[in-house]
Amino acid sequence: MDKKTVRIAGTQGFYGDSPMGAIMVAMQGAADYLMHDALAELTLSILQKDKLKDPSLGYARDIEFHAAKLYPVCLGKGIKVVTDSGGLNPHSAAKKVKAILAKQGIEEVNIAAIDGDDMMDKLEQLKADGLPLLNLDSGEAYTDSVYEPTHANVYIGAQCIKDALEQGADIILAGRVADPCLALGILAYEFGWDLAGKTQEELDRMANGIMIGHILECGGQASGGNAYSEWLGRDYKFSHLGYPIAHVESDGSATITKLENQGGKVSRNTIREQLVYEIHNPNAYITPDVTVDFTNITVEETGENKVRVGGARGKQRPEQLKLCIGQMEGYMSEQLFYFSWPYAYDKAKAFVEAAKETWAALPFQYDELRVNYLGINGIHEDVAQPINKERIDEMNEVGVRIAFRHKKPHVGKLLIQSVVCLGLNGPPGMNASMNWGKAASMRLGLFPTLIPREYISPQITIY
Amino acid sequence: MKKIKLIDIASARSGDKNNICNIGVMAKTKEDYSILKEKLSAERVKAHFGNLIKGKVIRYEWDALESLNFVCHEALDGGASRSLRIDTLGKNFSSHLLRMELEV
Repeated sequence: MDKKTVRIAGTQGFYGDSPMGAIMVAMQGAADYLMHDALAELTLSILQKDKLKDPSLGYARDIEFHAAKLYPVCLGKGIKVVTDSGGLNPHSAAKKVKAILAKQGIEEVNIAAIDGDDMMDKLEQLKADGLPLLNLDSGEAYTDSVYEPTHANVYIGAQCIKDALEQGADIILAGRVADPCLALGILAYEFGWDLAGKTQEELDRMANGIMIGHILECGGQASGGNAYSEWLGRDYKFSHLGYPIAHVESDGSATITKLENQGGKVSRNTIREQLVYEIHNPNAYITPDVTVDFTNITVEETGENKVRVGGARGKQRPEQLKLCIGQMEGYMSEQLFYFSWPYAYDKAKAFVEAAKETWAALPFQYDELRVNYLGINGIHEDVAQPINKERIDEMNEVGVRIAFRHKKPHVGKLLIQSVVCLGLNGPPGMNASMNWGKAASMRLGLFPTLIPREYISPQITIY
Repeated sequence: MKKIKLIDIASARSGDKNNICNIGVMAKTKEDYSILKEKLSAERVKAHFGNLIKGKVIRYEWDALESLNFVCHEALDGGASRSLRIDTLGKNFSSHLLRMELEV
């Protein structure tokens, strides 16, 4: 058996993640590839807002810092970077990275932009072609939607990553490649895997590749972050967390580890926690390249910060690809404020009562109001564990959060400003720390649906 | 029979896909996993979340990880980008579930 091992580090879990984990891995030469996932379901809507303001934007902007501080280290050590940070504008992202590197005297670099996932300009054609475009969650037809689309991107698979690496890319800036397919594309290139999935052996190693990608795609969540299973008796630091690194073999099985001189932990528990994250049916995890059965995987601790994984089974890939359409559905606004002992909760409720009376008399209205009492029912709302009156009366402080859904952007701020007078006119001692009446946030809906593969042809451009 | 809390025998992690929240519940030991399989039904989970979960709850058994996975539909107030909740992503569905009492 081929003893070659490919090392992939999952060093970015979201747009805005710390670059330090990636920089440490690169400086220590502890990986052959950095896999960076910048695109959560919502991120493309955020990027669309950037792009509307400035057509040269629309990519995850942390690549600008990466191009200044991280990529030069990677290039010096022969480490390649594979990311979906190209977002809605991979070409512009590639040009920007190229320019930032050139300023540092780095000219000999191949940067691949991958697009073809963006269907924004083709939505009308999809409708005209008579595709059903049914919502995967609710079953409603997209043609019945009354909202303006903000973005429309198809989850594409690993072939484009493999192809870009074959064309000599050092840095890949893709659009909406499905998160775990970033890893699968790297492995397909390195081990010469055929992604057609014609045999069970091919399907199984692809399934393992997806499992590796899934373990790595959320960065520090696989190496000790966000883990209840390690909370009691925690024996590692959250600061300077070492991000997960997979040492993958030619059959797709791997050992997950991390840098020894960094925080965090890789244990069977931390890997289990990441494996269950955002998975639905473990027998049928659907990706563009392969449907994965995780039910018989092996997850074994083989040493300190070393966990062996393998045994995923592959099934045929889905006929259609997932298209996620963002929709502009209005606005939301929020305000926080606080009351102290004595009568903290009673004062908070009296404030809210007076505020509701004030709002009822205004000539503009909200569509929905949410009131949460922080410390009492903030996070779990109606089903929060009840607290008895005696304990409530002894509480040092109670926070109040009001949130509105509204149609016009300025209405939330007006509603919040209309009750600031209760700071003087209302219950004693209201604190609102530093702000009152922030600008509204856009309320974006996601419309997930399916389209045939024939509509998608990813394009690779090397800069 | 004695009462325990789920947190005594399991950990949990939850996350979002649009308006669906999944809660992975990982048993601490193989024995604890048997208790989970017997006691922690989809119906109990749905009831525990009351008004927060408006749709169905589907339970998947994942023996290789000694884990159950609960897929909760219409659970996130329309989804993270639409929700008026504080916990827009359902990250704390895990903590609410861990507080559930079980008779064993």
